[in-house]
Amino acid sequence: MKDFIEKFAEAIEVEDVAALTAETKFHDLDEWSSLSVMLTIAFFDEEYDKQIGEKDIRESETIQDLYNIATA
Amino acid sequence: MFNPFSLNEKTILITGASSGIGRQCAIACSNMGARIIAVARNTERLQETLSQLKGEGHSCYSIELSNCDDIKSLVAKIVNENGKLDGIICAAGIERTMPAKLLTPADYEEVFRINTVSAFELVSQATTVKYFNAGGSVVLISSITSLIARQGTAAYSASKGAMVSGARVLAAELSKRKIRVNCISPGTILTPLMQNFLDTLNEDDYKKRTSGFPLGLGKPEDVANASIYLLSDASRWVTGQNFVIDGGFTIQ
Repeated sequence: MKDFIEKFAEAIEVEDVAALTAETKFHDLDEWSSLSVMLTIAFFDEEYDKQIGEKDIRESETIQDLYNIATA
Repeated sequence: MFNPFSLNEKTILITGASSGIGRQCAIACSNMGARIIAVARNTERLQETLSQLKGEGHSCYSIELSNCDDIKSLVAKIVNENGKLDGIICAAGIERTMPAKLLTPADYEEVFRINTVSAFELVSQATTVKYFNAGGSVVLISSITSLIARQGTAAYSASKGAMVSGARVLAAELSKRKIRVNCISPGTILTPLMQNFLDTLNEDDYKKRTSGFPLGLGKPEDVANASIYLLSDASRWVTGQNFVIDGGFTIQ
């Protein structure tokens, strides 16, 4: 999980990785924007070889939710 | 002493640092306390730039920026060896002066690759969280041909105009991390290369090429001083702009 958070933070350009936990609601992050959706889709594709859609991200609330998709 | 333009403790990467505007920017920034990472093709001339810098801890890297695929690994190496960056100046560029009628697609592609694409690739690779401090600043050296017509510069001027419009987008995207992106558009600057070019002109052409500047021709220092401002915290609320420094050429 720690590894996932670090990579996700880097993908969406979040400076303060230490502030992120599995429970963090990523939509509420200052750094989150419409472009972050594309960065996240690319991150899943590159790191996990998973093709996810905007809908998956919209329906996810916490970093844990994203992690579940990545490891499903 | 209060100095809003100080670059103390800042690490600045400068491309095209082996001559002209890029070299002068490196010298000026080192005078303001910055640690300089000088990048260009020619190792010998880079060393010459290094020898003119004030202070300690500067370094230089020789690279062919037109190989855009090499930029990612170069940035990783530079940050690995020098720590995170606080600023970038993209001053590397080429010109291909000929009538538009004679310019080939290959000319356009080469000019764009070096002047525009390599600069954007460098900025995009170097401004990530891993490599760039929040609050840092990027300066792209464009040209007044991004705004006015100078005959024979279609490829060059298009590449410089693209820089200005692309910089606005980068500025918007990077604003979340308080990273600023601005262009400087200099008029005719008397660099050694420009002097060589002017020397080849006949009297009429020389007059034509050097007239129209109410304050006369520019010096590399004029651009370097603007880069200090844009890299320093004095310009913390300035982003996405095209700073025209042309001795008044475009006001009339």
